[in-house]
Amino acid sequence: MEIADLPICTSHRAKLLAAGYSSLAALSAADPPRLALDLNIEIPEAEDILKIAVCANKFKGADGPSSVIKGAQNAWDMLSDEQSRKHINTGSGDLNNILGGGIHCKEVTEIGGVPGIGKTQLGIQLAINVQIPVECGGLGGKSVYIDTEGSFMVERVYQIAEGCISDILEYFPHYQNKAPSGQEKLKPESFLADIYYFRICSYTEQIAVINYLEKFLGEHKDVRIVIIDSVTFHFRQDFDDMALRTRVLSGLSLKLMKLAKTYNLAVVLLNQVTTKFTEGSFQLTLALGDSWSHSCTNRLILYWDGNLRYAYLDKSPSLPAVSAPYAVTGKGVRDAVSSNRKRARVM
Amino acid sequence: MVVGGSRNGAGAGARCFPRHYLPPADEVREKNQVERQGGQFLDGMDLLKDVTENKRFLPTGVQGIDTLLGGGLRQGQLMEITGQSSSGKTQVCLCSAAHVAASHLGVVVYLDSSNSFSPRHIARMIDEFPISLDNEPKHVRLNKVMSSIICESIFDIFNLFEVLHQVELSLKKKVNNGSSKICLLIIDSISSLLAPIISGKYPQGRSMMLSLAMILKKLADEHNLAVLVTNHMVAGNGAPKPALGESWKTVPHVRLVFSRDRGSNICTATVLKHTLLASGRNCMKFAVPS
Repeated sequence: MEIADLPICTSHRAKLLAAGYSSLAALSAADPPRLALDLNIEIPEAEDILKIAVCANKFKGADGPSSVIKGAQNAWDMLSDEQSRKHINTGSGDLNNILGGGIHCKEVTEIGGVPGIGKTQLGIQLAINVQIPVECGGLGGKSVYIDTEGSFMVERVYQIAEGCISDILEYFPHYQNKAPSGQEKLKPESFLADIYYFRICSYTEQIAVINYLEKFLGEHKDVRIVIIDSVTFHFRQDFDDMALRTRVLSGLSLKLMKLAKTYNLAVVLLNQVTTKFTEGSFQLTLALGDSWSHSCTNRLILYWDGNLRYAYLDKSPSLPAVSAPYAVTGKGVRDAVSSNRKRARVM
Repeated sequence: MVVGGSRNGAGAGARCFPRHYLPPADEVREKNQVERQGGQFLDGMDLLKDVTENKRFLPTGVQGIDTLLGGGLRQGQLMEITGQSSSGKTQVCLCSAAHVAASHLGVVVYLDSSNSFSPRHIARMIDEFPISLDNEPKHVRLNKVMSSIICESIFDIFNLFEVLHQVELSLKKKVNNGSSKICLLIIDSISSLLAPIISGKYPQGRSMMLSLAMILKKLADEHNLAVLVTNHMVAGNGAPKPALGESWKTVPHVRLVFSRDRGSNICTATVLKHTLLASGRNCMKFAVPS
C-alpha cells in the first residue's frame, strides 16, 4: 500500500507527497510535531494521519482470505467458538430447550409479556443462575442488574438464591465435600453480593449507565449477564419527539450489541407490552415500536394460556419458533408441574 | 462526487471517517482496464459482454426467491431486503452466504450489526448441500467452505466505512495476485447502523447514508460484487413502509419486501423495485430455510 491508498483527505495526501513522504516507511519514521511542521497542519491532524498509517502498516502484513478485513473471523473459527460456549440456565428445562440450551452469551435477548407474567422473576432467576459454579455446569460469572422500575425485591432474590442452592445440592450432592472453597461459596449471601445493581430514575440516567457499562465491564471481566428491567419504562413517558426516541433507542441497542460481543456476555432486555391497532383489531405487541423490534437477536414472549404460563420464541436467527410452558414457584422459575419434560410443541 | 465539506463537519467522529477519495483520471483508466477494455467510455456491446461474462447470478438457496429474481443475487447490483422483525430477512442472508460459499463461487463477507450471524445454522445448511463429486471427508469440506465466509461485527457507521475501505483495498490487491475473490457482501442490517444518525435536523447523517450508498455501488460495479443489505420497516401512514426514507429508495437495484404471518414459517416476498421485472405484482411464497 502506498500513500495514495491511505484513507486520508485529498489535501493531506497532496501535502504529504509534496513534502516528500512517498512511502509508508518514510511516514512511520516521522513524529507528529515534525509532520505537522512539514505539512503545515495542526498537530492533532498529523497524529491522525500517523494513526491511519500505522493501521495500514499492520494491515499490509496479513495475508490469506481472513485478511480481507483486519480482525474478522471466518465462520469456521466462529463455529468452534460457538460450540464451546456455555449457556445460562433459565431454571426451567423446557424453556432451556426452546432457547437451544439457555440464554446465549454474545447475544441480546428481549423478553416481553403482560404485567405479572414473570418477566422480573425470570430476570432475577438469570441473575442468580449465571453464578452457578463451573463445576456444576454453570458459568460461574457475575451479573449486572439495571432496575428502572424499582421491582427488584431483594427478599425475593434471597429466596431464589436459596432455591438455586438447594437444587445444586440436589443434583451435585458431593459438591460441598469435593470443593473446600465451595463451603463458603454456596450461600445466598455470596450470590447476592455478586449482583451489581443500578437503580435508574430517568431515561438520561439509563443512557448514561449504558455508556458507563463499557468502562465498568472492562474493570469487571467476570460479568456474564446484563439485565435491564425494563428497557421501556422511562422511554414510554417524557418523550415528545418520537423520531428522537427512535434514534436514541437504536443507538442504545447498537451499544448493547457491542457490549455483548466484546465482553462475551448475555444482554437480557425486559420489555412491556402495548396494544397496536392492525387490520381492524387491537393486538398486544411489545412496546417501543417497530424500529425497536429489530434491535434484539432473540425475542421471547411470555403469555398466559389458561392457568399456565407459556414462553414463545418469537425471533431467533437459528432456532425454530416454538413455545413451552414454565412455572414461577417459590424457588424461582421452574418447569410447569403438569407438563412432561418433552412438551416443547411446534406452533 | 465527493462531499468533502459535510464530512469534515461530522464532529469528533470525523477523524475515523475514511475520506473516500476520487482517484486521478489516469488511475481510473488503468483500473478499468483490468475489468474492461477501452478508455473513457463503453459502448453497448462492451456492456453486454461484461454482463454476460462477469455479472453472474449467485443462488440464494431459497427456491422461491431464486425463481422470483430469475436466478438469484446479481453481481454488480445492490439488493435490499426489507420486512418486519422476524420476517425471515436474516435467514435469507445466512442461507445465501452458505450457498454461495458451498458452491465455491467465491469469498463471502458478512457484516453483522445485530449479533445474529449463527455459524451453527450455516454449518447445518452446508451439511445439507448436495455433495460435489470429489470425495472429501465431510469435516474437511465443511472447514473449507466455512473458511470462505468471513464475518465481522459492526456497531457504528464509522466502523462500517473503515471496513468497506479495507474490503476495497483487498479487492484491488486481489486483482493483481488473482487469489480467490470476494463475490458477495452482506450487511445485516444496514438500517440499524444508519438509524441513530438519520434525522431531519442534521443533514450530516443523510449525507453519510448517501456516501455509503455510493461506496457500496462503486464496490459492486468495479469488482463485480453482489451486495445484499437488509432494512427494517417503520410505521407509515396506515401501512408499514421500509425505513431510511425517500433518498435511500433510489439506491438499491432490487428491493424485496418480506412478510410472514405470526406462527407460520411461510414467508411472502414481493418485488418493490427491480431493474428487469415488473414490480408490485410479482410475489412468491417460500418456506423459511431451517
